[in-house]
Amino acid sequence: MKIAIGQIDTILGEVDKNIRKIEHYTDKAISEKCDLIVFPELATTGYGLRDLVYTATRESENGIFNSLKEKSNFIDIAFGFAEKERGYFYNSSMYLSGGEILHIHRKKFLPDYGMFEEQRYFSPGQSIKSFNTRFGKTTMLICEDAFHISSHHIAFKNQTEILIILSASPFWSDHTSMKWEMWENVCRTSAQLNGYFVIFSNRVGFEDGVGFFGKSFIVNPNGHVMDEAPFLKEVLFITEMDLRDVERARLFMPIMKNEVCNETFGKAEDRL
Amino acid sequence: MKLLEKLKIDCDFISSYLVEFVRQEITKTGLKRAVIGLSGGIDSTVSAYIAKEALGKENVYGILMPYKLSSKDSIEDALKVVKETGINHKIVEITEPADAYFNEFEEMDKVRRGNVLARMRMITLFDHSQLYQALVVGTSNKTELLLGYGTWYGDMASSLNPIGDLYKNQIYQLARFFNVPESIIKKKPSADLWVGQSDEEELGFSYDEADVILYHLFDLHYSTEEVIKLGFKEELVKGIFERVKRNQFKRLPPIIAKISKRTVNIDFRYLRDWGL
Repeated sequence: MKIAIGQIDTILGEVDKNIRKIEHYTDKAISEKCDLIVFPELATTGYGLRDLVYTATRESENGIFNSLKEKSNFIDIAFGFAEKERGYFYNSSMYLSGGEILHIHRKKFLPDYGMFEEQRYFSPGQSIKSFNTRFGKTTMLICEDAFHISSHHIAFKNQTEILIILSASPFWSDHTSMKWEMWENVCRTSAQLNGYFVIFSNRVGFEDGVGFFGKSFIVNPNGHVMDEAPFLKEVLFITEMDLRDVERARLFMPIMKNEVCNETFGKAEDRL
Repeated sequence: MKLLEKLKIDCDFISSYLVEFVRQEITKTGLKRAVIGLSGGIDSTVSAYIAKEALGKENVYGILMPYKLSSKDSIEDALKVVKETGINHKIVEITEPADAYFNEFEEMDKVRRGNVLARMRMITLFDHSQLYQALVVGTSNKTELLLGYGTWYGDMASSLNPIGDLYKNQIYQLARFFNVPESIIKKKPSADLWVGQSDEEELGFSYDEADVILYHLFDLHYSTEEVIKLGFKEELVKGIFERVKRNQFKRLPPIIAKISKRTVNIDFRYLRDWGL
């Protein structure tokens, strides 16, 4: 399976232009014979929206997504967008396949500490659901979702095979670490303990001095970072992954086998 | 771990990050050039090296703005930066306009005079930003910004500032990384607003002390008591904390009296990069 990550920059609040860019990279990925392309969080709008949520959000059924839906007959597409529904706003991601919306995930954990103001503008999603794609059981998380161990637990109990993390993660560093080390730790641990692929798609570009660092990567189910996109550069980043590696990793370490359903997984209806 | 070692940065990553910051934040506005006031000091030197990497030497204009009492070393060191980087330069004397203003008053203390000089330079830089269709790249470091050791709408004014989140000690690390002329690294930091001025004498503490105290207070969220326990005098730590508090206004645009339902910067909230 060939995966593309559209590690892109965006123009703040300019939805039409950003969607054109998403379409452009999708076309490139189709011509490279990729099976799936993943874009970052809020790829249609940029990150620091503040009052732009009033004008830059769209309903998921808005015709502006038609061309991408059409392209999803040739490649599966996952991208972050600023969603509007009945006067409320969500930081969402859409998974398109076969010309249809297969799934929408609304970011559940909206950061509102330090430099972040998401909870001021967006309403939180109510759940994290897994869904079947032509490649297997898939779960989408958006940035901060992935810092909550409960999200990884849901992905695990739903027997996820591909975990997609769409992100707009800003750069910072201090004397102990660089920001991306945290992402690598989180994604490698999740992949290894849960025996699935993790696709981490992070944006690039600056917004009022805040730099989104890129360095998107894919981790295999053994917890190994297979390949990593460059720091700060907009690129179409393509990696091959062998879906059979999920089974191979689980043969080697069948962790789920020894879980006692009721204790670990809670009520049956929580399960997919 | 020595306290000062906590300020160590990865110059490779940080410099490429700052180069991208300058390049992207300028070019996305539709412009491609930068204007920088070159004082011959370490801060403007590092900003100039970053701007040159970002935009190419032909797109960077170093403006030297001596006053008649400015130290000769300042000009010489600034010219070394011009030579080493190959950027454009221009010398604009501010003696006449500054003196014309000073002559309007019987007596002016050195702080008033220093502020006028800093603002005369600001006028010159922003005038050249219009002339060259360029943005003014700032040269205030994090230590100065936090201490409020600068002139509001003077040297603190710029369009974008690549070094505002770096402490003085970290500016030195980058200076060594860029291999800037040794005389600039060696000399004592000075705003050179009057003869013989020394930053550290005027402040009453060293930059290294200030950097370590500020880093622990604000980056690592230590209380003043906890910082004192690291081995600093109570008077020094509390004095620095008070300076930071007292000068908060210098780090913000003017406050606005709220009347309507949507007030600029209060609940009319957009990033500057709106649409860029």
